[in-house]
Amino acid sequence: MLATSCSRLCRGTPSSRARRALSLFSGSGPSNWTKVVSDAEKIVGYPTSFMSLRCLLSDELSNVAMHVRKLVGTQHPLLSTARGFVYDNRNNLQMRGVIVLLMSKAAGPSHTASDLLAQDMVSGIYPSQRNLAEITELIHTAFLVHRGIVNLKEWTVSDGPLKDMQFGNKMAVLSGDFLLANACTGLAQLNNTKVVELISSAIGDIVQGIYYENSSNTEANGPTDGVDVATWEEQTFLSHGALLAKSCQAAMELAKHDKDSQRLAYKYGKHLSLGHKLNSDLQPFVKRSVGEPLSFSLSAAPVVFHRQIVGQERWHQQLQQAKTLRNQLDYSKLLAAVKSERGMSSTVDLCRYHGNKALEAIQAFPSSEARSALENIASAITKF
Amino acid sequence: MAVPWWSHCRRWSTNRASATLLDTLRRCDGRSASSAARAAWSSRPRNEALLLSSSSSSSQINLKTFNFTSLLNRHKSRSLCPALQPRCCRTIHSDAKVEDPFTLAQKDLTSLYDDIRKELFVSKEELKSLCDYYFDGKGKAVRPMIVVLMARALNIHSNRAGDLLPGQRAIAMISEMIHTASLVHDDVIDGSDKRRGKGTINEVWGERKAILAGDFILSAASLALARIGNITVVKVLSQVIEDLVRGEFMQLGSKENGNERFKHYLEKTFKKTASLIANSCKAVSILVNSDPEVHEIAFQYGKNVGIAFQLVDDVLDFTSGASHLGKPTAADLKLGLATGPVLFACEQFPELHSMIMRRFSSDGDVDRAWEYVLQSDGVQQTNFLARRYGQEAIRHISMLRPSPERDALIRLTEMVLTRDK
Repeated sequence: MLATSCSRLCRGTPSSRARRALSLFSGSGPSNWTKVVSDAEKIVGYPTSFMSLRCLLSDELSNVAMHVRKLVGTQHPLLSTARGFVYDNRNNLQMRGVIVLLMSKAAGPSHTASDLLAQDMVSGIYPSQRNLAEITELIHTAFLVHRGIVNLKEWTVSDGPLKDMQFGNKMAVLSGDFLLANACTGLAQLNNTKVVELISSAIGDIVQGIYYENSSNTEANGPTDGVDVATWEEQTFLSHGALLAKSCQAAMELAKHDKDSQRLAYKYGKHLSLGHKLNSDLQPFVKRSVGEPLSFSLSAAPVVFHRQIVGQERWHQQLQQAKTLRNQLDYSKLLAAVKSERGMSSTVDLCRYHGNKALEAIQAFPSSEARSALENIASAITKF
Repeated sequence: MAVPWWSHCRRWSTNRASATLLDTLRRCDGRSASSAARAAWSSRPRNEALLLSSSSSSSQINLKTFNFTSLLNRHKSRSLCPALQPRCCRTIHSDAKVEDPFTLAQKDLTSLYDDIRKELFVSKEELKSLCDYYFDGKGKAVRPMIVVLMARALNIHSNRAGDLLPGQRAIAMISEMIHTASLVHDDVIDGSDKRRGKGTINEVWGERKAILAGDFILSAASLALARIGNITVVKVLSQVIEDLVRGEFMQLGSKENGNERFKHYLEKTFKKTASLIANSCKAVSILVNSDPEVHEIAFQYGKNVGIAFQLVDDVLDFTSGASHLGKPTAADLKLGLATGPVLFACEQFPELHSMIMRRFSSDGDVDRAWEYVLQSDGVQQTNFLARRYGQEAIRHISMLRPSPERDALIRLTEMVLTRDK
């Protein structure tokens, strides 16, 4: 229901804010990435959308879908987020869920727990692990929605009527909360307080990560210094990695696998997420589709590396030189500046490092089709 | 009151959807089984007496009450000291020394806000100060107070010392955290700029950060909840989080039909206000007692007090001056919400119907609706309904073994009903 209403929304003009929200869905572009993920989906049996579907079909979200139609033609980010549910979910929306499922399958049935029965497994995965995979997706989606809240005081009349923005915010708060609340009740149903603890802490991590993201985004445009690479990694782990890492670990806990397997699963999730983020940050630098306007975030990894390599002073000069007459940034000039130094190659190296770390982590699991799929995914993020 | 409460029951009972409304009213109707609850009220309002005599002549209500009463008898027979109940309840009213609930709960709440601030562990200073913003010790902490009094009453009822178990202490804290997280989000949804005499988080730091702060408080609450280590408790309190959101969604829509609208209103009131109190009370009972009937007593007390609390709140929105509640009166009307007093007034002044449906959005709607409500007996009827829920709360809590904390909960119910701010 959300989908059908949303498909009607797709003609709005994307603003800069909207593009930012959209890029969260599209992620990295290489077609072999899409292929490894869709191959992996076949291994884990049915896709993970049941809990998400139940949410989408609920009275509450159909209500939102109806209201969101009123936002067509406005610039509220909720529109583009909703648009993303329809268009980009074939690529990345369920990537986290699929990885949790593959990890569950690769680890196999439990050896110790008597209350877990192998015959409950479907395609080698326990029902609780499937629910966990969906909860992971719900939480991820909830924050895509909450990221799209607009600060009303920053809104100027020329941006459109304030009333639309208030209304859009209201819908975004409510639908994000609704998804989070469903994640909470779903978590409780897993009957494992350790897992509730892990995933709750992951939610806290995401909030902190997004909070940093917001403040460093404004800093990058202002006169203050941006973050260094180590801080970037820390913050990116919080905003993009903690959920997957802790979900992978929780999947092991649900099948009563030992601490060691839990640690390795966590490690895979962590390094894969970081590698994936580095890969998508690199996309504007390695590939350039003709005709598309070039743009990238100034907190993208290659820029962060570049800034650290050339130093603040040079970086500020380069920023000044890239300014056009109307005080806008000429991204192709900046891109050339970043490419001329080691910023880009350092990012590629770091991406490969995380890809290899992820590969290393799953070597301890027995060889299987699910493990190969996890290996393929880890390799895909190091290719450009 | 111009129109007795009972006449509404009759009017509704002739309508098509009457069963649902009567279902919601049914729980107000168990007084015959509980002398304790009746004794708790020194002076019963005149038309309550009317209701009591009228309802006994209504076969419809009696039929509906049947199951309820038998359930109640079961409770009574299982109660540890049934014979004591009427006496000790009478004691309360002759004995002026019943401790003030706030004073009695104080010893368990001294470190409440410090404990909460410790749970909200973040390295980023600004986020930390946002999260701590409402935990400044200036809130009334009504929910934690109910939770600790209930926990002590239940502990004593379960043949233990009153002292709180660590998990019960955590639940008191979590109840305040969940409540605050929902306030932070509600302020963004309603566009409020003032709360508890200071600017709201969204007013001071903007909407984006306010939403994140709310999410963070919720995640910290959920973490603390998981650490209690009892999955049933986790389930009970996760339900609250879902109820809060569903209640908020229910506020978006209005129902055409008067009956459905009232049921919708009571259901919303349960989800938005009472569920948190009811389920927190239930959670502390689970930690100390395995008897589901004891869990039910705790839940029913919390639920009925919660609904009574909100009904009185809705009345105060019409009757209290701006200075009292710290927010302008008729705030609900301005937000497009039709609460108890308006719904009752609509029975007398059908002109209100179209205003309710357009959520008081036309020019002058708020003022006109306000006038209608004050001309009608909507305020009295809502107060009366609140009193019924209050009695029901007292009836349930009276099934517990007597203790100063139990009596304080009874006293608290009276305070909820008579508060004027």
